[in-house]
Amino acid sequence: MTVASRSSAAGRCYLGVDIGSLAVKAVLLDAEEHILSRAVAPAGYGGQEAAARLVAQVLSEAHAEKALARTVVTGYGRSLFRNADEEMSEISCHARGAFRVCPEVRTVIDIGGQDSKVIRVDARGRVMDFAMNDKCAAGTGRFLEVMAAALGVPVADFGALALQSQHPVAISSTCTVFAESEAISHMASGAERQDVAAGLHRAIASRILGLAAHVGLLAEVVVSGGVALNAGLVAALTELSGLHLTVPSDPQVVGALGAALFALHGGRR
Amino acid sequence: MAEKRYKKLKTAAELQQLMQWHYASARYLRLGRPLAWVTSGAPVEILRAMQIAVLYPENYTALCGARHLASSLCQVAEAHGYSQDLCSYARTDLGSAFDPAHAPMQGLPKPDLLIACNNICGTVVKWYEALAGYYHVPLFVLDTPFVHDQLQDSTLYYVVAQLEELIRFIERATGHRLDKARLSKIAHVSNETTRVWGEIRALCKARPSPLNAPDLFVNMAPIVVLRGANSALRFYRHLQAEVEQRVRLKVGAIPEEKHRLLWDNIAIWHHLYRFYNLFVDHGACFVVDTYTGGWAHAVPEGEPLPGIAQAYTSIFLNQSLQYRVEWMASLIREYGVDGFVMHCNRSCKPYSLGQYAVRRAVMERTGVPGLVIESDQCDARTYAEEPIRTRIQAFIETLEART
Repeated sequence: MTVASRSSAAGRCYLGVDIGSLAVKAVLLDAEEHILSRAVAPAGYGGQEAAARLVAQVLSEAHAEKALARTVVTGYGRSLFRNADEEMSEISCHARGAFRVCPEVRTVIDIGGQDSKVIRVDARGRVMDFAMNDKCAAGTGRFLEVMAAALGVPVADFGALALQSQHPVAISSTCTVFAESEAISHMASGAERQDVAAGLHRAIASRILGLAAHVGLLAEVVVSGGVALNAGLVAALTELSGLHLTVPSDPQVVGALGAALFALHGGRR
Repeated sequence: MAEKRYKKLKTAAELQQLMQWHYASARYLRLGRPLAWVTSGAPVEILRAMQIAVLYPENYTALCGARHLASSLCQVAEAHGYSQDLCSYARTDLGSAFDPAHAPMQGLPKPDLLIACNNICGTVVKWYEALAGYYHVPLFVLDTPFVHDQLQDSTLYYVVAQLEELIRFIERATGHRLDKARLSKIAHVSNETTRVWGEIRALCKARPSPLNAPDLFVNMAPIVVLRGANSALRFYRHLQAEVEQRVRLKVGAIPEEKHRLLWDNIAIWHHLYRFYNLFVDHGACFVVDTYTGGWAHAVPEGEPLPGIAQAYTSIFLNQSLQYRVEWMASLIREYGVDGFVMHCNRSCKPYSLGQYAVRRAVMERTGVPGLVIESDQCDARTYAEEPIRTRIQAFIETLEART
């Protein structure tokens, strides 16, 4: 994904907004599917204010305030967002966005702040089947945040720390609460910080692969969502699945890109 | 929502009266008849023929669920040491026994005897043992072996022998004798009722479907609790006439039927309309389900006891996953279904275990997509609407992308 020249907003523009539980994302496209601007910000309380600011920002960056033709919103805050023409589920938007950045994709693993999903798509990029975690933080960005805090590591450095491990500890529980106490007891018994971090990354990866088993894990596999930026997790997923995983250059905005593509092409294409 | 999403059935008032009469008569108008609490899969024709009044804790607890009182009754049972992993029908029932003051209708009237049949699950055995201990009343457990492939003759002999034992058990406990002519008559009424119920379900093959899943769930109560009673047969004939009229006039259950779905598993009683309306919002109607089809199997004609043994042993929850796959696939074909939704029901282990395997097999067999929703039949604490809404929306988008 490359950001096109910012002066090319003379034509009509199409906006995708993804209001997640931890972050809001926006992507603005021109009629030729070029990205005019994109932005990511913390969701804050409810995400609506952050989303409104973000939309103003991407439109202003592209000088496209008057050229906006259509907006599609997705993510947990989608039904409260007022300025969209249509709302669509994250499942459809992530599949659409992943298909755009990798047309060979057959499986999308999206790991967001409060849920993770595995989506099977067909050769035309249409959703065939999907599975989501249910009422459980295991296998989500929230799990990583809680564990990074427990280990006293900034969440941005957590994956890199895990990659330094030679001897990952075994974390048997995938429950966020129990896994945290397991991690703490490993630390108390003198385990190295990176080994605990690696154990936690393997636990979350195994949880996500368990979810993937419901729909099948067909190559090409694209990992999207903010958690795809965590190299430790991608390494654990690769190791445990034995598959090559594609991480887009800007994984966090894949859902917003999908929403923008739906805004551009309309319908359920 | 400006538009009313449900067309109320004219027979709704009659249904309500019938059910009120059922519960009131068990408490106030027994006329000396002993009272049995029975499981939904118990051979009730025998009890009716022996002049035993019957109540169904499963129906009562579903009612508690619909009235949003089940979760607090579950908590009563949990405070008595019952695990939150136990079926919420069992917990609600035990909770209402322990704390009737906080239960609808002040709980059910105390039973004189208990009859549990394990054709629906193994939980009923321990649940009814707990009730027997609590009320100090006799319990009969009817054991129907699981049907792995074909129903074996040896299984039938085994169940028939137990039915004979059940009759002796009731005779001993109550002094009532079995009137065989009456049993044949009741089995006939039971079959008639089952047949009419099956025909009502089949009317939903029409487009648009005259009924949606909540209609089926609400109207199934008499086929469960009044099977073999003339009052139930009369009610279902009235319902059938109304549904036939809807079909003739092309009146659909929901405002605009765009997608035809199949429902698998017990209803989500605590959010009945609210939950199914999430589908109605997308023009999706459940035209058929497996749950209320569980009571559409007739007792074969001929000698009553072998017929009863066969009917109650071969209910679908007592049969293999393969059988369920084939049944769902045939319903999907017959009812012109575009997608199916499986309730992964925390309470009902036999219904929910193996669901992912069934889902995959049905999808492969029919090419129709399936969605799994996690919740519970009675315990509203398991219900998380926002994740459910997202799944439903994504599922409908998937259906729409296929067309």
